[in-house]
Parts: sequence; structure tokens; C-alpha cells
Amino acid sequence: MATLAPAVEEKKGGERTALITGSEAIAVACQLADVDVITAYPIRPYDTVMQYIAKLVSNGEMDCEYIVAEGEHSQFEIVKHASAVGARVFCGSSGVGWMYAMEALTVTPALRIPMVCMVGNRALDDPGAFGTEHNDALAVRDLGWMLTWVDSGQEALDSTLIAYRVAEDRRIFLPCAISCDGAFLTHSQSLLQIPSQEQVNEFLPRYNRADLLLHPDNPITVAPQANEDWVMEIRRQNYAAMERTYGVIKEAFADFERIFGRSYGNPFFEEYMTDDADVVLMGMGTLSTPVKVAIRQMRKAGKKVGFVRLRWFRPFAAEELAQCLSRFQAVGVIDRDYSFGSPHSGGVVAGEVRNALYPGAGKKPPVLGFICGLGGREVTIPDVEKITESVYQAAEGKRQPLTQWIGLRE
Amino acid sequence: MSTIPINPVLPFLRTDRMPTIWCPGCGIGTTVNCFARALLDSGVDLKHLAIVSGIGCTGRVAGYVKLDSFHTTHGRAIPFATGLKLANPKLNVVVYSGDGDLSAIGGNHLIHAARRNIDIKVICVNNLIYAMTGGQTAPTTPGHVITSTHPYGTFDPNFNLPHLVEAAGAVYVARWTTFHVRQIARSMAEVFKKPGFCFIEILSPCPTLYQRRNKMGDGLDTMKFYKEHSKIKNGVSTSEVGLTRNGDIIVGKFVDRDRSDYLTMAHDQFVEALGDRYVDECAAECCEEGI
Repeated sequence: MATLAPAVEEKKGGERTALITGSEAIAVACQLADVDVITAYPIRPYDTVMQYIAKLVSNGEMDCEYIVAEGEHSQFEIVKHASAVGARVFCGSSGVGWMYAMEALTVTPALRIPMVCMVGNRALDDPGAFGTEHNDALAVRDLGWMLTWVDSGQEALDSTLIAYRVAEDRRIFLPCAISCDGAFLTHSQSLLQIPSQEQVNEFLPRYNRADLLLHPDNPITVAPQANEDWVMEIRRQNYAAMERTYGVIKEAFADFERIFGRSYGNPFFEEYMTDDADVVLMGMGTLSTPVKVAIRQMRKAGKKVGFVRLRWFRPFAAEELAQCLSRFQAVGVIDRDYSFGSPHSGGVVAGEVRNALYPGAGKKPPVLGFICGLGGREVTIPDVEKITESVYQAAEGKRQPLTQWIGLRE
Repeated sequence: MSTIPINPVLPFLRTDRMPTIWCPGCGIGTTVNCFARALLDSGVDLKHLAIVSGIGCTGRVAGYVKLDSFHTTHGRAIPFATGLKLANPKLNVVVYSGDGDLSAIGGNHLIHAARRNIDIKVICVNNLIYAMTGGQTAPTTPGHVITSTHPYGTFDPNFNLPHLVEAAGAVYVARWTTFHVRQIARSMAEVFKKPGFCFIEILSPCPTLYQRRNKMGDGLDTMKFYKEHSKIKNGVSTSEVGLTRNGDIIVGKFVDRDRSDYLTMAHDQFVEALGDRYVDECAAECCEEGI
């Protein structure tokens, strides 16, 4: 059987370029990270990752324990416990599969387990749909998971390595989920730079659970009943760990640049054509592609539009983002998710952005929310133009609805 | 005057949803045909019939039959059906789902519904694999089979589903292959009239993901395989009907026994504990409605 990611071009030192999908990129990252235990249960679009990993394991190219569990609930429980005994673990799911694992997803951050997961974003049932929506991963946003959204196969690979580095840092010990838009990213091929094993070894130290290791020589009880005596203090420890992620993520990105020679700039959000922008659009994941294309077209017509792509949703870099957004006359947030009954009935990201802006000093641009591309529907260039038009109106002081559904058949 | 002949099963199908998602050579459509014939033959009251499916290729059955149906979340067909039956005991509740849905992610529900002897009829189309998601190893996949998660062959033991559900308490257990269309229809018609937890396993080809990867030919080749390897052994001990990759397929009606179903046991216990003070609301309701 052929190697998973054959090189299109090889560089000195073992780096190579390969044409692979977003899912393959995650599998290759797991191989490079030398993950010890991986569990799987099929659900589209995540299942492509488990198949690529199965191939690597079967071919002897990856030394890890690999089990197809009988459902997502067991799948996430198995790796959680493997992590408690010191194994580096990987897991993943999509849509309702991720939701079925919710009990395990709840206890994982509470027990300070540095599990790394891939969420192949998929619309929740019902009605059934295979296409992308972000409500699956967002469902754990308050529980202590670090959540990052990527928009390319390269970023998926790199973020997986960074996720291990941050999650397994002794100051953190929190799980991290890497969200990849179903189909648009998981199933699309692109040319990727695959780093060498030496580079990864330098970047990623072995997982060391130290005094928290569940081992016969270190008798501890994991998850004892604590009740009101200690629960608040334990929650506070989780809070403190999440607060530390801002600094540890910055460290990891700086080291990443030093070792791999590629930079992402600001780890928390990407700015595109914002230097002279009047207004900006915001969003997460692969909608960056149509948005960037539309922006380039609109700029030819003289509209100074920029784009801010949120890369880390948890932790949420509120202060930095507020500072960034205060430079613009208006902001349009495109949500590939929904939050029924929320303030202004908007999307999740729009609500978070308004929240981030509220306490800051400085200028507060109007923030409009746009719900678009649900269930895997494409976010089109005309959609983006329509959104931009409304954002410009808001910038000129004209009253606009705070939440609009774009690309809806009516 | 000439008349245009109509397939007698058509009234049971939502033809506007056709063509189906099922691949050429897949056996699920055959089982639906058998199901429609069983409905005709048994004269089941369609107003009191509900079909519940889970997720997967077989899970799509709920959308193709012109009957009251529900397409539940993955693995949850049996709990949904249990709720349906308890809330409305006069319904004939059929769970129509695949091996992955029923025995993997829904495996716990399967054994507990059999243990309680919930009066539901479970039709399990077993293609020995998770087909819809790309042919991963399922708990029913026999050993030494090539799957997308075991490219060099499976090694973890597979469930013998008739043995499992018999041990858990099912009152009717049969297995056929999609080659045995008459026997399938007959078993289905039988279970409509049999009170308690009934289980029919139907082996079905997945030429796209199982037979192809294992060099076992197409749908027609699988029919020949079923024909040559099936041995009808009614009443045989279910401990002897486990499936292997190339071995014989023991088919037949293995279990047909009687024991009180869940609602009857509940009724009897309340009568024993409360005597005359117990009022069976369900019986009273049925009496009022003249059922």
C-alpha cells in the first residue's frame, strides 16, 4: 500500500511537499506527533481522518494503539483514560456524533486531560445534513475546551502540532479541538509543507503528566466526589489554566515560527487587507476563501473592505480584538452557526464580538451579524457583497438590522 | 379495455423519493419489497403501524415507505420505538435499521429492549459493515475481512446477533439472507402477530464496500454465495449460528417462544401488589375506544 502523503517535492532535512486533503493533513500531524492511542467511530466528514490513520497504522508507518469503538461516547472515554495514564491521544467526530460524546466532553477539561480532537464541522440533526455548520464544536465553548478554527489543510496540520504543544503544557492541561469545515476543508486537496520528524521533535516535547499520572507507583484518585467543599476551587483552577492559554499559545506560535520557518502572525486572528480598510467582515473557517475573493473584487471597485478571521475562539482574545476592530467604521460578522433566542437572535460569534467590544475604551464600531452558509450551503461572492453593502450603510450611520440571514430562500 | 398493471407493493412506497440512495446490488431494497409483501399478506392495519429507523443506509427505509415513520438519531431507534409502544400500546411498532446502528452505537438499547420484552419488531439488515460512512469495521464484521479501518483484515471477534438477542430475552429470532425473499416476508408477517420482542436478521450485500474490498464479486455473485452457503436449520441453537467470512450461513427461525411482554408484566405486578385498587388506564382507554 502506498505511503499516505507521497512527496511531490523533497527538501533537505526531510521536509516535503505533498498534495493531500485536510483530513489527511490531520492524520499526518498525528503521525508526526507520534500519538500513542487513537479511537475512532465513523461519521462524516470526520471519518476520513480515521481511515487515513488506519492506513498509517496498518502499514506500520505509525506506532499507536487504534480502536474502532462502538460509538462516540466510548470513543472519547477510551482516550480520556489513556491520557490519564500518560498516553498522547487523538480523537475526533462531527455533528451529532460529537454531541453524543457530550458527557465525556464535559469531564475531559474538568479532569485536565490534554486530549486533542478534530471536529469535522457538520450540521446538527435534525433535519439530517452532511454540510458544515459550527454549532457542533461551539456546544463545548463554556466547558474549558480550547477551540480553534482553521481554513486550510496547512493550518490544520500546523494547528494539530500546536494543539499538542499547548494542551500538554503543564501550565495548561486542557483539551483542544481543531475545527475543520466539513467537505470544504476535510475533503479538499492542496499542496502542503510537511515538516520533518526532527523539527516536530524539537517543537513538541513528550507528554509528561508528572504528579497527575495515574500509575500504581503514584496512587491518586481521579475524579473523586468533591461536592460544595471543593468544586468552586477546582473550577477556579480550570479558569486559571484557561487564562494562561493566551501566553502559552503565543509562546507556541513563536517557537513554531523559529523551528518551522513559517509564521501565522497574530495567533488569535488573521487580518486580511485591513491596513486601509473602512469596514471589515469577520468569520471563522473556510468562508475566508469566498470572502477574500469578494474583497479583492470589491477593492477593484474602490471599496476599502478588510477581513478578520478568528482563529482561536477559546481562548477568545477579547482585548486584542477590540483594539483591532476600533480602527474600523463598522464590522460585519458572518456566522456559520445560530444561537436561537440569544441577544438580537444572532450568531454565536457576533454575540462574542459585541461582548468583547463593550467594556473597552476607545471607539466602538457598530457590529452587524449575518447568518450565512448553514447546512453546508455555499457562502457566495454575491452574499459577501450584500453583507458588505449593509455594513457600509451602518458605517454611514444608517440603521441596519442587527441580525440578517443571507442566502436564504424565501 | 386494457388496464395498466401496478406493482402491488407500490402503494407502500414514496415513489417521489426514488431513486433511492442504495447502490446497485445492495439488498436493502429487496428487504423493503419483502416488508411490503408481508404487510399485504398479513393484513396489518396500516393506521396502527409505525416504522422507526436509525442512521445508516438501512436507516433511510423510514423515508421511503408511505407509512408513519421516524428517522431517529444514530442508535436511538429502539428507545424511540419503546416510547412509542408504551405511549400507544395498540400500535404495531417496527424498528427497521442496520447492524451498525442496532448493535454498535445502539447495542445497549437492543439488549435491554429484549430483556424487558418490549413488544416491538426489530428488522436488522446486516451488511457486516458500516456502509454509509465508507466501510469501517462494525461489531458484526467477521474476522479476516478487509475494511477501511482494517486494511489487512479484521481480528476482533464479531457479534452473533441471534445468540445475543436470544440470551437477552427475545421471544422470536430468525435469520435470512436477501436470497430468501419468501422466507423473509413470511417471518415478517409472523412477527406482526407475535407479541413481545421479535428480531429478524437479514444478511444483505454491500457490493460497494464489503464484497468489492474482499474480492467477493458484485450483488449477483453475493446472491450465488448466499444460495450456495446458506443452510436452513430451523430451531437450531443460536450458539451455533455465528458468521465467518467464507463459511456456511445458518438461516431459519431459531427461536419462537412465549413469555409475558413488558406491559403485561407491569400490569400483572400492579394487580398482584394493589389488587382491586389498581386501575389499568390503558385497558380502560382501549375499552372506551372500542378496541
